[in-house]
Amino acid sequence: MRLSIIIVSALAFALFSSCKEEVEFQSNDCRKLPTFVKAIGFNPARTAFSTSEKKTMGLVLVELQKQGEPRRYQHPSWKMGGWMGPIQLDQFGNCFVGPVPVVNVYNNPTSKQNTVYKVDSESGVMSVFAELPVSDSITSVNPYGILGLCYLCETNTLYVSSVMGSDRTHEKGTVYAIDATSGEILDKITGIDILGMGISYASGQRKLYMGSARTSDIYAITLNKKGTFSGKPEIMLSLINLGPRGDDKVRRFRFTQYGGMQIFGVEFNFNLTAPTEKQETVYEFSWDDTEKKWQFVK
Amino acid sequence: MKHRLLNFLLFIFVTAVFSSCDNGNGVTVHKGYDETAIESMIAEADTLVTFPFVAERVNKIKDALRQPLPVLLYADSASDKQRFAESVALKDSVFTQFLFDPATHLPFRNEIFGIHQARESDMAGIKAAYNLADCYRVEMYNYALNNTSVAIVDAGTQRVLNRFYLSQTQPDLPPALITLANKIAMESPEVEKALGFKPDEKKLLAQYYKTSLNQTRCERSRHLCVAPTFLLGEKTLWAIVDLTDHRLVGVRWIYSGKTGPASPLVSERKLQDDKITACFCEQEQKLARNGWEMKYMLTSSDGLRISNVLYNGKPVLRNAKLVDVHVNYSGSDGFGYSDAVGCPFFSQAAVLAWEPPKVVDLLDDSKNKIGFVLEQTFRSEGWPTPCSYNYRQRYEFYNDGRFRITAASLGRGCSSTATYRPVFRIAFADDHSSFYEWKNSSWSQWEKEQWQLQGAATLFTPEGFQYKIAGNSGGYFMEPGKGQFNDGGRGDYAYVYVSKHDNARDEGESDLVTIGPCCNADYHQGPEKFIEPNAENIQNASLVVWYVAQLRNDDRKGNEYCWAENVLNSKGVYETKIFPCFCGPMFIPVKN
Repeated sequence: MRLSIIIVSALAFALFSSCKEEVEFQSNDCRKLPTFVKAIGFNPARTAFSTSEKKTMGLVLVELQKQGEPRRYQHPSWKMGGWMGPIQLDQFGNCFVGPVPVVNVYNNPTSKQNTVYKVDSESGVMSVFAELPVSDSITSVNPYGILGLCYLCETNTLYVSSVMGSDRTHEKGTVYAIDATSGEILDKITGIDILGMGISYASGQRKLYMGSARTSDIYAITLNKKGTFSGKPEIMLSLINLGPRGDDKVRRFRFTQYGGMQIFGVEFNFNLTAPTEKQETVYEFSWDDTEKKWQFVK
Repeated sequence: MKHRLLNFLLFIFVTAVFSSCDNGNGVTVHKGYDETAIESMIAEADTLVTFPFVAERVNKIKDALRQPLPVLLYADSASDKQRFAESVALKDSVFTQFLFDPATHLPFRNEIFGIHQARESDMAGIKAAYNLADCYRVEMYNYALNNTSVAIVDAGTQRVLNRFYLSQTQPDLPPALITLANKIAMESPEVEKALGFKPDEKKLLAQYYKTSLNQTRCERSRHLCVAPTFLLGEKTLWAIVDLTDHRLVGVRWIYSGKTGPASPLVSERKLQDDKITACFCEQEQKLARNGWEMKYMLTSSDGLRISNVLYNGKPVLRNAKLVDVHVNYSGSDGFGYSDAVGCPFFSQAAVLAWEPPKVVDLLDDSKNKIGFVLEQTFRSEGWPTPCSYNYRQRYEFYNDGRFRITAASLGRGCSSTATYRPVFRIAFADDHSSFYEWKNSSWSQWEKEQWQLQGAATLFTPEGFQYKIAGNSGGYFMEPGKGQFNDGGRGDYAYVYVSKHDNARDEGESDLVTIGPCCNADYHQGPEKFIEPNAENIQNASLVVWYVAQLRNDDRKGNEYCWAENVLNSKGVYETKIFPCFCGPMFIPVKN
């Protein structure tokens, strides 16, 4: 599964409403459009970052047209990470991107899959933002590193999930909390493989929701005032035996103001099967404040 | 030529099922893995096992498809009113819009699954007056398209009040099909083997049965599949039955006597992936037959790898595998893929193993057994839809000591402009080998690492050999594919590279990452990395032969090559017609 498409389809046409794509809760909706977009003559209202262009490796800016083919722009630096996956904007208009191999690892060597890239809001130039620790147990069986990105406006914290070093019997992934300005690692959860992430306030607490990359389980952990982790991840719910496949993994979350949660589930088995095979199912849940748990809606 | 197979006939000699991790070749120790995955059985898709009651059902289908209205009517007892509602529905042109393939006008297999008394909830949106007691919900399933057509019929006024269809959806099964699924399960040898006795209906676990019918268990084939389950102590045996092809897909035990986190329901994909991972991706298997001995396993991204290959006790190969398949689409500049084939979980493979490796007899034109084949198929989901892939690896071992390393694309890819370049890596066991090319009517030794392209000017011995690998313990002639092997291959036009193996460095002995891009049309296919820029001396050395065939696909009628297409068969469902493009060299022992 070209995870590119897992994440990638997540991002595909992540219109600058793309800012809203991972968390739509008002309290976490601060993200700003990159300044350079206007400077290069693109209309921000119709423009999105994409990492799912079939024939173009890396990050691409796409402007939808009223008619005809979209207009595309790629700064020369936007290929530096090979094929890319998750995209995340911050409140200053900077764009963070993670590398994800597509079909093969030819342009995405495994040892480079724990690098977070950043496109500067002003200049539009991509550079290495953070090189997360590389696992000492990289194997040929797991081509992936970074799988998920998520941003908390209130503390300017970037959450990065990586599964580097994991194999079928060893869960060695990490979720990092990173200062989105300095790149400093503020906190981390180890021994957990996470695919999609989102931030919810549904239970009255600010929590980072995390979909396991290995099972259909969804974890949550409280985020404290600093945006770092408080306590341990707890299983909140599971997609097991739901949907057409019955073992979907969470690619992304979408929370509404009214206690609703949409989960975008996909098949993911740590391989590089093609994006054309990717099918996504949307699962809807609502928060039951009496029972203090999520109820499956459809 | 003696080694040619006039008809490349393969015969399954292994049992039709793979129990434990033993696929009929004698194996294996398997501690530390999920036992239910190891003990699960995957039935051969091409098994000839069938039952009289299935033949009867198939005849009914064929009869129905010959009728002007090619529909299998509701097979269970129904009232006159229900039958009338069924006939009214079948006269409705919208309800029957999926009876025929619009392209060929051949009939799809459609069957009425239910004629239910309508409920108020079925009448939503209907403005016409009706008497609910006269109304029926008629459900028809299309096996070929995997969709459901529904008509709300007012039998009193003989009108269809509403009709709609649901894509990729199956209605609840009628009792007759439940009985058929149960019979297939109970009569299948795999179920009997797993249970240890031949089951009867008393062992069927009804309360789980209904749950298992809620959705198809065959997410890969997209067939109508159900899972009759059998209770034995604290374990439940799930038997996945394909009601489109009337066969057992496989069986797996689930421990049912414990509470705790839910387990995923058993499905076709889960059954296949877990079994393959536990038995063939995480442990090597041994194979000994016809004087040959070897180990084999599925890799992360190098396909089916064989190693420690001996013939009559003498080392032949250290290992061999399929490193990459480069797919280049001409007319679309630089567009294509470097596919890797391998294991379903935790792998760098883009095209995955769905079935365990098979060992089959190799027969000549007179059906004499002249060897055996070890083969493995890798598939994309949805194959043969556009941009999906299917590759087959095949190792042929002959009783007389010859062997051939082959692979094929079975299409279909993204277009008919593809060139496939499979990259084989073949490591010889003899550490004191030299490599020779047939040139000017004699063998000319290669002194240093190099590459060569097979082309129109290539010279061959009268027997058709192009190269020779000779060492202390004998040697092999190498005969590239020129379309002479009668397996559909039309010639390999291969790049051949020879590199020196050195134990001190890993040049592909372990699982190789993608070594070349999709779309180079010249010798830059990846192996050149191991011979450039400083070519080493390869005389009297441990040698690795890299073989990169070049196969241009074709979709023209009658010329199909590296191609596949779905055709509607006489049973009203699609079956895949394949046009493989086999390639790969034959190795013939040098007789001293």
